[in-house]
Amino acid sequence: MADALTLDSVSKAFGGLQVIEDLSFSVPRGSRTALIGPNGAGKTTVFNLISGVYIPDSGRILIGETDAAGVSAARRVGLGLSRSFQNIRLMPHLSAVENVMLGEHHRRHPLAAAWGKRATSRARAALADAGLDAYEGMVVSELPYGIQKRIEVVRALLAEPSLLLLDEPAAGLNGAETDELRLLLERVSDRGVTILVVEHDMPFVHSFCNHVVVLNFGRKIYDGDNEGVRRDPAVLEAYLGSQSGVSDAA
Amino acid sequence: MSGYLEGLIAVLAINIIIAYSVYLPAAAGLLNLGSAGFVLVGAYTAGALTSLHGVSLWLAVPAGGLLAAVIAFAVSFPILRTRGVYMVLATFAFAEVVGGVLLNWPGLGGAAGLSVIAWPGLAAVVAVAAAVVAGAAWLMSTRFGLSVRAIHDDESVARLFGVDLRATQVAAFTLGGFVGGVGGALLVHQFNFIDVQGTGVLFSIYVLLYVLMGGTQTVWGPVSGALFFTLVPELLRHVASLDPSLKSLESGRFIVFGVAVVLLMVLRPQGLITRTMIERLFRRPSAGAQHG
Amino acid sequence: MQLIQQIINGLMLGGILAFVAVAFTLTIGMLNFLNFTIPALFMVAAMLAWALISPGAHPLALGLHWVPAIAVGVLAAVLASLLIERFTYRYMKTRYGDATEHALPLVSSLGFLIVFEHLAMTLWGGDPQRFELPFRNTDLNVAGFVIGLPQLFSLALAITLVAALQTLLNRTRIGRALRAIAENPDASTLMGVEVQRVVPLVFVITGVLSALAGILYAVSYGVVTPFMGDAIATDAIAGMVLGGLGNVWGAIAGGLLVGLVKVLAISIFGAEIEKIPVWGLLLLILVFRPSGLFGASRIGKGKF
Repeated sequence: MADALTLDSVSKAFGGLQVIEDLSFSVPRGSRTALIGPNGAGKTTVFNLISGVYIPDSGRILIGETDAAGVSAARRVGLGLSRSFQNIRLMPHLSAVENVMLGEHHRRHPLAAAWGKRATSRARAALADAGLDAYEGMVVSELPYGIQKRIEVVRALLAEPSLLLLDEPAAGLNGAETDELRLLLERVSDRGVTILVVEHDMPFVHSFCNHVVVLNFGRKIYDGDNEGVRRDPAVLEAYLGSQSGVSDAA
Repeated sequence: MSGYLEGLIAVLAINIIIAYSVYLPAAAGLLNLGSAGFVLVGAYTAGALTSLHGVSLWLAVPAGGLLAAVIAFAVSFPILRTRGVYMVLATFAFAEVVGGVLLNWPGLGGAAGLSVIAWPGLAAVVAVAAAVVAGAAWLMSTRFGLSVRAIHDDESVARLFGVDLRATQVAAFTLGGFVGGVGGALLVHQFNFIDVQGTGVLFSIYVLLYVLMGGTQTVWGPVSGALFFTLVPELLRHVASLDPSLKSLESGRFIVFGVAVVLLMVLRPQGLITRTMIERLFRRPSAGAQHG
Repeated sequence: MQLIQQIINGLMLGGILAFVAVAFTLTIGMLNFLNFTIPALFMVAAMLAWALISPGAHPLALGLHWVPAIAVGVLAAVLASLLIERFTYRYMKTRYGDATEHALPLVSSLGFLIVFEHLAMTLWGGDPQRFELPFRNTDLNVAGFVIGLPQLFSLALAITLVAALQTLLNRTRIGRALRAIAENPDASTLMGVEVQRVVPLVFVITGVLSALAGILYAVSYGVVTPFMGDAIATDAIAGMVLGGLGNVWGAIAGGLLVGLVKVLAISIFGAEIEKIPVWGLLLLILVFRPSGLFGASRIGKGKF
């Protein structure tokens, strides 16, 4: 069975800056993979390439067995792909429920109801599952950062993805919220969903992920398990030698 | 009911209809400074049908709306290639072209305008306005409405969740054109007359302003904007008639409107009716039982 | 012969349109703001000057000499422009925010337009008023052709001012500041550029340009009304689009072109048919070549 995601010699430059260079890695099906690296390593760019916001200059991206090249960004959600964003990208004027409902939007007919108990039931259940039902009807721009971040994850989950991309899902969350998030994601992973996270929160990565890919200046410098990454010299050099440190303290 | 009151309600009803023609695209983030264009198409089409070809009013009005919709559909493709100020200017340009074409179309009266005889009556106009409001409310409660509001907030992320940006915007624009055409068709027949000169730049400006003033976050915004625009001048006129020394208030109705627009943009740019306001007032079913 | 006179007339109108087009394109280029109060400022200067000069029973009929009257008109427009800056541009959301939020200053400016036009209506009524200056004939007679001096002056002044502006933008410290703000309003504040002082300067320039154009129009065509700015502004916007948004030289060329096309079309085909080719062309340009006929030398970013 094919890996959930394969990048094959992918390169991307913006202007004169080579952001991603000859990047190849695979995300095994059902794994919990972390994509880490110092700031500016190109992690969010990788996500944007996978979700179709950017097109690679060279190389291939395979989502499952499908070459993403022929699939527009709007249709990748149909391939089982779903994501969250580094800076929160919820629709500010919509309520929590309505934002979450966008997750399943691609499976609904335009004239189907989007209002009322029945139409909102799945979204409300998903929010309740994440412990966020108290915020259902509230307009998200009025909600605290941590809550918004978690709502974004719930929205991505409602798409029932086979491959879930999470861009710094734990950023800005306190200890308790991070634990709640990890429990939620563990339940999701147990259902067979492949999860790829970009993160700086190392304790979270160590406790949740079983596969780690490390980027530095757009190139892969490590691809292996949790244990190896702590001791790998290239990784240590990348982090200790760069401006942005890795916070090992939660 | 007095003739004055009847006339006032008719104006309000038609203003509400035309408000929705601008609201539908605005809800998807598309600003239309050329609503006069669709109103003119609807008015002249329906007016020509009833007065020159003896067609029944009840066929002419939908026909006006339909032609406006077809034109809106055709024009939406080039216009949707623009954004921001370019889109505002493009819709503005469109209305100017429509005005120019109609001024020179043989048999429609040119600069002297078009006069018609068929009369819909207050009940019909109010019924159509109510239908437009109800239709818009239903439409915005569907998945299509959710797409529209998602696009309004964040086009690129909406796309990533499968929203068909182009199709939704074309649909919103086309529907807006249809409603504008219907509004124009009713306008010319209710008031027996229309002319290009009087339905031009200022007309489009007023409509856009009172729609934005009412708020585009919810489907109830346009009604409040139209109410404000139509009723406040009348209120001023009444107050002025009570005390002769307040005569200037009457002619100041547009000044009040303009000042209100400026103040609103400063103090409450989201418009009179906002999403949070509706949430708090009505506690919709989607809010769930345990809402603190 | 008649054709040549019409061409001259077209260029004369174009001279005034060029002036207003420059005002529009300047604000768009520097502040990303489609300033719909320009027609109001245009009118305020002209009508105020008229009111001050002309004898009669209307408000402000002070029977002033035309020089101070015009000065007062221009000053009033500048003050109005600064007031508008206080209530429109200050509230522009340059970062996030959707299309309707970006449109805030535009919408505000429309509100101001309505206020000023109806204020004038309330004060002086809606009828056209004759604007007369002590010297009767302001026309040049060259080889049998009539050339309006005020329009010619307007064109010459527009060219001079634009040249001066280009120098200001490219060679002075204030000009650099203006360009920095146009490129990135938020970063400019961080870099210590005195946004508070520089932006009002643009509004002052806008006020002066619009006011002078209004006065020159009144002198050329002898008529003022509260809504005189609307038609001129519409045509000036057309000129601005033709020349490319933000392109000041293009605005002059565009204004001239629109004036020419308008007068020729009216004289050949009759009134109002010129709307179709002019605005049809504009629509095509906006969609397929938004940088205009001459390419927009955008001073600022291509946002709202």
